[in-house]
Amino acid sequence: MYDDILPFEPAAAIRREWAEGRAELRFAGKGGVTRLDHLYQHSPLRVLFPAPRGADPVTASLVTVSGGLVGGDRIAVEVAAEERAEAFVHAQAAEKVYRSAGADVDVRVSLSAEAGSWLEYLPQETILFDGSRLVRRTRVDVVPGARLLAGEIGVFGRGASGETWRDGLYHECWEVRRAGELIWKDVLHLDETSVEALSGAFGFDGATATATAVYAGDDPAISLATARNLLAGGGETVISAATLVDDLLVVRWLAREPRALRDAFGKFWAGFRSGIAGLPGALPRLWHV
Amino acid sequence: MTGSLDSAGLYRLMAWMSPGFPVGAYAYSGGLEWAVEEGRVPDAGGLAAWCRAVVTHGAGRADANFFTGAWRAVDEDDADGLREVLVQAAAQRASREAKLESAAQGAAFLSAVTGAWDIPGLEPWSAILSERGTEIPYVAAVAAVCAAAGIPLREGLTSYLHALAANYISAGVRLIPLGQTDGQRTLAGLFETIEAAADRATAQGDAPWGTAAPLLDLFSMQHETQYTRLFRS
Repeated sequence: MYDDILPFEPAAAIRREWAEGRAELRFAGKGGVTRLDHLYQHSPLRVLFPAPRGADPVTASLVTVSGGLVGGDRIAVEVAAEERAEAFVHAQAAEKVYRSAGADVDVRVSLSAEAGSWLEYLPQETILFDGSRLVRRTRVDVVPGARLLAGEIGVFGRGASGETWRDGLYHECWEVRRAGELIWKDVLHLDETSVEALSGAFGFDGATATATAVYAGDDPAISLATARNLLAGGGETVISAATLVDDLLVVRWLAREPRALRDAFGKFWAGFRSGIAGLPGALPRLWHV
Repeated sequence: MTGSLDSAGLYRLMAWMSPGFPVGAYAYSGGLEWAVEEGRVPDAGGLAAWCRAVVTHGAGRADANFFTGAWRAVDEDDADGLREVLVQAAAQRASREAKLESAAQGAAFLSAVTGAWDIPGLEPWSAILSERGTEIPYVAAVAAVCAAAGIPLREGLTSYLHALAANYISAGVRLIPLGQTDGQRTLAGLFETIEAAADRATAQGDAPWGTAAPLLDLFSMQHETQYTRLFRS
């Protein structure tokens, strides 16, 4: 999939107008059936509803139809699972963030899950072109009894065209609240003053891909054991680990080869949803393109 | 307050940031134990690089911002400002063990200071530090106590970062192992790094800058699975 990213920047990079994409989804659960209770979408974000495969819950697929994000674009995604609702939301394709003339791309993701619900938010890679500026804030709100699995993947530069990321901004912020209390926060902040960390032996050590997943549920010990089992066969090319912070499962990956990270991340995700929730141990077909 | 460090302040600061102060710092390696086990920190040069990464890009960088935020909140008599730093500093921990390293030392520090040292005006701040039980971020406890005791921000922060680095160097000397002279050379060589970190944190205030050291986070997480170990982190 990295091969089909063009070595030049397509028309989206010179768009003059800033995009304000928005997707709001609210799922309600009643009598063992989940239905979409609220939907709002604003271009360049679009929501598709592919038929769930097998035992998968209600599935929504997020698409950015502009072909990539440019400085100044604002994207907001809000997904809520109400009591006993079960939903699977995933990105349809990798996201490209083009070189910026100065403005940041601002992405806000807000995910919430009520008691008895299951919500998955499965990303694909966000590919940071050299000189791109991305600020992404992912806010997760859960209550006891909710189960929520979410992730993000960042890739530095377009490896296939020999590009690395040397300049710009990558600000990736996670905030997880349980019953309104902040239980975990993480802020990765890379800019021109800290780009040396990409090559530093204790920074990224030459890694070009990084990913994070969090899982909030009422079964922290089981989730940690499940995650560590799944990561154990990860091989040498991807460094990964799992921990519990305030009973929140946090899993991280780092790799020099984005493809290897994607494979490890996907394998984890498929195995985890299967092991924890009894869902199919497979990812959407689009994930394997 | 931009006063200078008087001899009473110096005396207290030296005691509180001494390896002998009973917070149990010697029990924590910040994931260094795993990195040494993995062969990633084989010598003094590796240890120096590790410490530089912690202070410049890792938990030390975040702590420098929390220190500055907590110190200024107390100095400006801003109780809610201190509460906000406490929430942030408790939540921004890479792993279960990183959280333990911060919380266990924070509770021990506050207990030792309030139990043994007479700091007029500390009481309302120690009450706020304790509002969330024993979940007291070490960096925020040190910063708040320094501010209440009239210890200037810059000296307090430099001393905190020095103690952080010195503690990891001490762990490295035992783990790698290194001679004491190599350990001291490493500490001496970190002066500019710590100066720069303190400059940056005090210049930018408590802006949410974050970290850029995912490998340090991963080592801290992986240490939890290390079979034979001397350290709690």
